[in-house]
Amino acid sequence: MITIDPNSDVPLYMQLRTQIMEAIVRGDLSNGDTLPSVRALAGDLGVNMHTVNKSYHELELKEIIEIVPKKGAVIIANKNKDISKNRLETLSEEFRPFVVEALVSGMKEKELHELVTNVIKKIQEG
Amino acid sequence: MEFSVLLITILFVNLFQVTVPFIVKRTVVFGVTIPYEQAKHPKVVYFKRLYALITFIIGVTLTIGFLLSFQENEKFVLAGVTIPLVIIVTGLSLYFYFHYKMIKLKQSQDWYKEIKQVHFADLAIRAKDEMLASIVHFIPTIITISIAILSIKLYDQLPSQIPTHWGPDGQPDAFSDKSWMSVVSFPGILLLLQLMFFGINVFTKRSGIKINAGNVTSSQIRQLRLRKYSSWFLFVINILMTLLFTFIQLNLLYENIFSVSLMMLMPLFFMVTILAGALGLAIKVGRVDSDFEGKFEINSSSNVDGIDEDQYWKGGLIYFNRNDPSIFVEKRFGIGWTMNFAHPIGYFVIIIPIVLILIVAFLN
Repeated sequence: MITIDPNSDVPLYMQLRTQIMEAIVRGDLSNGDTLPSVRALAGDLGVNMHTVNKSYHELELKEIIEIVPKKGAVIIANKNKDISKNRLETLSEEFRPFVVEALVSGMKEKELHELVTNVIKKIQEG
Repeated sequence: MEFSVLLITILFVNLFQVTVPFIVKRTVVFGVTIPYEQAKHPKVVYFKRLYALITFIIGVTLTIGFLLSFQENEKFVLAGVTIPLVIIVTGLSLYFYFHYKMIKLKQSQDWYKEIKQVHFADLAIRAKDEMLASIVHFIPTIITISIAILSIKLYDQLPSQIPTHWGPDGQPDAFSDKSWMSVVSFPGILLLLQLMFFGINVFTKRSGIKINAGNVTSSQIRQLRLRKYSSWFLFVINILMTLLFTFIQLNLLYENIFSVSLMMLMPLFFMVTILAGALGLAIKVGRVDSDFEGKFEINSSSNVDGIDEDQYWKGGLIYFNRNDPSIFVEKRFGIGWTMNFAHPIGYFVIIIPIVLILIVAFLN
C-alpha cells in the first residue's frame, strides 16, 4: 500500500521512493518482484508520470531496483545479503548530517540508538 | 412488437435515471467529492431522494402518456423515440441543479478540516485485475474477414440493386446501386468497430486503478468489478455486432435466405441482450461502494481520505487532468467509463472510428 500526501513538505517522488523501500522492508515486496509500470502506478495514484519515473530512477541509483527491458522495474535489493562496501560508504555520508543535528540538539548516543530502534519498529508496523 | 421494444427502452431509461444517485460511488454526490464519513449527511440523503422522486414522477407521467398514445396509431413511434430523450434531458438538468446545490453545501461546511487527503495505490493490485485480454476482440474479426472475402467472390452474381436498409417489418425499404463500396461496406464498418473495441480495451487496461484511501476495501472491489465486467460487456457487444452484421450481409448476398420473422427478431434479440448486459453491469458494479452496499463503517481512528479531484471535473462530468496518464476513468454520474479529455489518444480511439463509420455510411 502506498499513500502519498500532496500537502507534505516532502516532495511526492521522495515519499513514493521511501514508501516502496518500506514495503520491501516489511516484506510486502521481495527480491525478484516487479513493480508496476511507470504509467500504471502514475495512473493508480493520479500523479504525473515524471514523479514516478523520478522515484524509480532514484531507486535504481540506490541499487534497489533494476530496470529490465520488457520486464519493467525488478527489485534486486536483498535484505539477507550484507551491504556492499560502496553503499555503506554512501549511507554513512548521508547519515552524518542527521547524526550531527541530533547531537547538536542535545541527544545522547544511547537516545540516538533508541530513536533508530523506534523508527525500525514503526516501519515494520507499517 | 415495435411498441414493446419502445416500452422496454422507456422503462429501462426511467429505472436507470431514478436509481443513478444511489449506484454511483458514495464519495461523489452529483459530481461533487465529499469525505466518506459524510455520505450519510442529512442534506446529501435529502438531495438524492428529491432527485429520485422528481425523476420518478416525470418518468411515470411520460410512460402513461406513451401507453395512451398507443391508441392513436403511428403516433406512438414518435412518442417512443422522443420520450427517452426527454427523460435524459430532464435528468441532466436536475443533475446540474443538484450539482450546484452540492457545491454550495460543500463550501458552507468545513468537511475536510480534520482530514488528510492522500493519493493511494496498491502495488499488487494488477495481479487481481481480471479484465479480458484485448486480443479477444480480434476473434470475431475472423468472421468479418470471411464474409468480406465471400462478398467479393459473389460480387458478379449479385443483382444491380443492393438493399441497404430494412424497415421494422424486416423487409428492405432502401436500395443502392451495386458497387464495391456498397458490397463491402458492412464488413468494413464491422472491422472498424472491432478495432475500436480493441483500442478501448487496451487503453482501459492501461488506465489507473483508482482506490479511495478513505475506504480501501469497497473502492477496490468496485474498481476491479467495473474493469472486469465492462470488458466482458464490451466483448458481448462485439459478438452481437458481428452476428447482426453477418446476418445482414448474408441476407444481402443470398436474397431471402432468412425468414421475415427472423429478420424482425434479430434486432429485438440484439437490443434485449444489450439492455440485459447493461443492467447486469449496473447491478454488479452499482452495489459496491454505493448506497446499496448497506454496511457503512466509519473508521474513526483513521482520518485519511482520497484526493478531492473536483477541480479536474468540469461540471462534474468532463474529466480533464494532464497529470493523470489514464485515458479512461470511472464516470462520476452513471456506471461505466468516461474519457480523460487532456489526452488526445482518447479522441483517436473513439472519434476516428466513429467518423470513418459515418463517412462509409453516408457514401452509400
